[in-house]
Amino acid sequence: MPSIKENTELTPGKTYWRSLDQLADTPEFREMVQREFPEGASELNNPVSRRKFLSIMGASMALAGLTSCRRPVEKIIPHVIKPEDVTPGVPKYYASTMPFGNESFGVVVENHDGRPTKIEGNEKHALSAGRSNTWMQAEMLNMYDPDRVQIPRKSGTISNWQAFESAWKQQYDKYLETEGEGLAILSEPFSSPSLRRLKDEFQKTFPRARWVSYAPVSDENITRAVEAATGTTGTIEYAFDKADVVLALDADFLLMETGSIKYSRDFMARRRVSSEKDSMNRLYVAEAAMSITGGMADHRMRLRAGDIGPFAAALANELESQGLDVNIGSAVAPWKDHSFDRKWLQAVAADLIKHKGRSIVLAGRSQPSNVHVLVAAINEALRNRDRTVIYRNNPDSSLSSVDDLKDLTDDMDAGEITGLIILGNNPVYQAPSDLNFEQVLSQVAFTAHLGSHADETAQAVQWLLPQSHFLESWGDVSGNGSRGIVQPLIAPLFNSRSALEMAALIVHGKASSGHDLVRETWAGILPETGFEKAWRKTLHDGVHTNSDEELLKLRYPESIQTYLENNRIFANSGVHEIIFKASASTYDGRYANNGWMQELPDSITKLTWDNAALMSRETAAGLGVKNQDLIELSLDNRNVRLPVWIQPGMADGSIALEIGYGRKHAGRIANGTGVDVNPVRQRDGMDFSTRISVRKLSGSYALACVQDHHGADEELLAQHAIQDRLPELVREATLAEYREHPEFAMGLAEEESLENMWQDVELEGKHQWGMSIDLNACTGCSSCTIACQSENNIPVIGKEEVMNGREMHWLRMDRYYSGDVDDPEVVVQPVGCQHCEMAPCEQVCPVAATTHSEEGLNQMAYNRCVGTRYCANNCPYKVRRFNYFNFTKDLPEIVQMAQNPDVTVRFRGVMEKCTYCVQRIEVGRITAKNEGRELADGDVVSACQQACPTDAIVFGDLKDPESRVSRVKEQNRDYAMLGELNLRPRTSYLAKLRNPNPALEQHT
Amino acid sequence: MAQLFPKWTNQLPLLAAVGATVVLVGIIGLFWYYGSPNYTDVGYRPVQPVPYSHKLHAGDLGVDCRYCHTGVETGPVAGVPPTKTCMNCHAMIKTDSEVLQPVFTSYNENRPLEWIRVHKSPDYVYFDHSAHLTAGVGCESCHGNVAEMEVVELRESLSMGWCLDCHRNPDDHLRPGSELTNMWWTPGEGQEQFAAQLKLEKDIKPPIEDCSGCHR
Repeated sequence: MPSIKENTELTPGKTYWRSLDQLADTPEFREMVQREFPEGASELNNPVSRRKFLSIMGASMALAGLTSCRRPVEKIIPHVIKPEDVTPGVPKYYASTMPFGNESFGVVVENHDGRPTKIEGNEKHALSAGRSNTWMQAEMLNMYDPDRVQIPRKSGTISNWQAFESAWKQQYDKYLETEGEGLAILSEPFSSPSLRRLKDEFQKTFPRARWVSYAPVSDENITRAVEAATGTTGTIEYAFDKADVVLALDADFLLMETGSIKYSRDFMARRRVSSEKDSMNRLYVAEAAMSITGGMADHRMRLRAGDIGPFAAALANELESQGLDVNIGSAVAPWKDHSFDRKWLQAVAADLIKHKGRSIVLAGRSQPSNVHVLVAAINEALRNRDRTVIYRNNPDSSLSSVDDLKDLTDDMDAGEITGLIILGNNPVYQAPSDLNFEQVLSQVAFTAHLGSHADETAQAVQWLLPQSHFLESWGDVSGNGSRGIVQPLIAPLFNSRSALEMAALIVHGKASSGHDLVRETWAGILPETGFEKAWRKTLHDGVHTNSDEELLKLRYPESIQTYLENNRIFANSGVHEIIFKASASTYDGRYANNGWMQELPDSITKLTWDNAALMSRETAAGLGVKNQDLIELSLDNRNVRLPVWIQPGMADGSIALEIGYGRKHAGRIANGTGVDVNPVRQRDGMDFSTRISVRKLSGSYALACVQDHHGADEELLAQHAIQDRLPELVREATLAEYREHPEFAMGLAEEESLENMWQDVELEGKHQWGMSIDLNACTGCSSCTIACQSENNIPVIGKEEVMNGREMHWLRMDRYYSGDVDDPEVVVQPVGCQHCEMAPCEQVCPVAATTHSEEGLNQMAYNRCVGTRYCANNCPYKVRRFNYFNFTKDLPEIVQMAQNPDVTVRFRGVMEKCTYCVQRIEVGRITAKNEGRELADGDVVSACQQACPTDAIVFGDLKDPESRVSRVKEQNRDYAMLGELNLRPRTSYLAKLRNPNPALEQHT
Repeated sequence: MAQLFPKWTNQLPLLAAVGATVVLVGIIGLFWYYGSPNYTDVGYRPVQPVPYSHKLHAGDLGVDCRYCHTGVETGPVAGVPPTKTCMNCHAMIKTDSEVLQPVFTSYNENRPLEWIRVHKSPDYVYFDHSAHLTAGVGCESCHGNVAEMEVVELRESLSMGWCLDCHRNPDDHLRPGSELTNMWWTPGEGQEQFAAQLKLEKDIKPPIEDCSGCHR
């Protein structure tokens, strides 16, 4: 891309661009914008891709026979005895909790006539507080996964639980005699009172056995640092709502770190402004790979992951030199001499000192323990502990430990382990490759694996036992100062048991029900008198606001000094540093067989269906590669080959790889999708490593990236001054500029609006629906996109179709870069149908399939649509989606159970788009009428609004001047996208603000 | 040389045109009539697993519709009663009846009865019973006089045109709350004023061109 620099230099002012292709204004990009869909998108010229699509969606479903030309016979099957307070057709909501490693999210699950269909956050839960992330939403599809293990298997042949129970009983009696010599359990890390109780019982029954917890993505570095600093293992929690200055060191706390939902909400509580008089917090980020937290930053520094420690050390020195007594002795003294941007450091240090007790310094989970200890000392010196930084110990936890796993595999290798029970995790795929887990597993005589899928581990064990989904099982969790109950929403779909039930079977030698186990544990938690009442209340609320967690104090400064003395901070050397990070889509691989997550464009890279080696332009130039070229990473005779993706904002020399792809045995969607990078992930480089060698291969691999799809087009955008126009789509300013020009958002629009092309209509509906999206609060987490997909039955279409530009998401997340091509700022903008009052799409529909309602909704009557696609052509926002195929035709029956019965499933040849969740509007309206009251503000909540962790999306009645949306739209940052077209969109945006430090040079 | 075609053949093109038009109109007319739900659907009366008589229960014995169809006022679906509802009475009454055997079997073996649906709207139509009852539309307006049916049959076409007829002009179908399940109610004197009053009171504005009222 030789012309990138020239192009940016030619354009004055702030430059926005969507991709490097756009910035260089390549012919490919021009064509992409000028065409509604990429070339060939409307042709079916590749029968192979169609076949691949069919295999993705699964080919089951009985054919509907032509029984007669008249109506088919339909049956109504009522209950025999109807449960109390169940009304057919009216959904019920139950509270439960979703365990996620040591974290847990309170959920409220919508249940339609006995089947769960939608997951929302539980307002009463400390972490989720009514909000959700993509993974919570996607769990719905995980439960209805047709590739789940359905029956117990022994060495591949069909068996049953009774057979396993008697097989285990023999082993159990044997191990009782030897006190568990040679027995081991490998589980996922957890924070659960009941599982913890069973673990303790296990240790008592089998004193010589061991219980190891391991997860490929964990807070192990943090918990070990807390142990070093406080003397007790524990976790760190942050109170972002009390922090004015935040320095995040390689910590994507808005998406990937533990607690991100709460942190997003709390962080925005200090960042949200309603007028120019409000203040904002300030976020500094130093990181290697561009994250959404980095995109949100007021000041971002590109730094190799291995340089984060030295940077923290340099910061400690800088704080000392500015008069703060960090008191960590001489351990970091060598870092007085460094090559980091001194001006940056000085400004950050001064800002932190100025906001003592109201600041947070945090390091990400991928940073080694000594960095966390150093950061703890800095926070202590800044007097942040117990104000914005809290150290807490949770006795209900079992924490992930790579060292324990190493000891276990060593003993397995030595033949000292005779029985291994694996509870839920998948070590063959996930364990560090130098442990050779698959190989040592074959040396264990008795192996059993409780798993949801016949995964990589399942191929290598004797007993494969189906695991229940959390929506099918009883359980409990604890953390963040409360405990919660996991309550089943449906009986197990298959012959499965939960990890808790399996653990009880192992510990007691006989099966017991999850419900009894949880109640037994909770008998010790809830008061004895009135237990039943308290139990029912806990079930109803989903949470119990009490836990045995204790606050920890730092052993400061002595222990910390000694620790840092013994664990010196070093920079890593080597030309290339390979970073391993969890995927925002598949996480550690557990969502690999989830079509929603695979197809969700990454918030920053906009890649779908694949992982890639992310690197900066300079790194790529050094390797002589360009986008989609293949490279090979090698370590100890293990190789990984994957395509390159040039990511602006990456630190030079860092190459980021996402784990969680390239599954071999996970199901029809996951198998062979992406590349498994675990082979080069070893114990000494779980987070980042410089030992891995990189070389260019010949050949390339096509990636499905959506960043140039559906670009909002203003008069052949590509030809005329893209860079000039983009600041009108997404508007931003600094806080200082905003204070000076409070009306800046409006000022950016063209002065005079165009004349109406069509006759003006007066809409007379009782309510007038509208939406406001606060770009200042939107992090780009994409929770709204998946919530919308779940609520509105949006199909998954597969990689080939995404490459054809046919993706179906009603709510897309546009991501723009601005500024320096190698170190850009990021703005994200969710775009769904804007529900224009003067909608251009409606004017061109030949069959009046898309019309306007009296309440201002741009509605689609699917059954009328004949598929001309004129409307999509005429939509300036590019939000209309066309069903090129009957994408849901081959949906396996079990996946159909995840569909929302309140929304029509669309057929081939039909246009669709955001409806403002009209089904929720109608239900709200009818319910209010039935109850004889007026529809109140907040009765109708759109799915995206409900999911948004930062409350960036507000939906409601514009006719009611007191409604939240009306009040929000009165703010002076409010602007309409493409407002000058005079289409009067009902969705408007609040302009983005940044709060740069005046001491650092102004960002352009 | 003699003419190859006799003179009357000059009429052929006209005859053909007229004939084609007649045939075309005929075909359209056939579809118009025989293809419409008025012909295909109205009168549908499938044989149910239990010969339940609405005439006996709702008509002669006067059991209110809502005794069985419990969801009608609170949810989108009126609901077909669970077997338990039958057993509330039939645990005592007619315990030796032949035709009730499926009910007893269902109850004893905990296996639901499989009724055949008579009133059906397409999947892309979202009809809500409770909304209509709240507005004051009675059962009879759509279902016909069920209390006189030995076997339930479809009386109305349930086509979109038929829906819109009422949505455009609901006046004749609005009744007082006490008469919702009355199968013999007819609009009396002053129905016009009553309907106007009710529409004002309850803010009744049935969706006409607001497609999303029914299509979501």
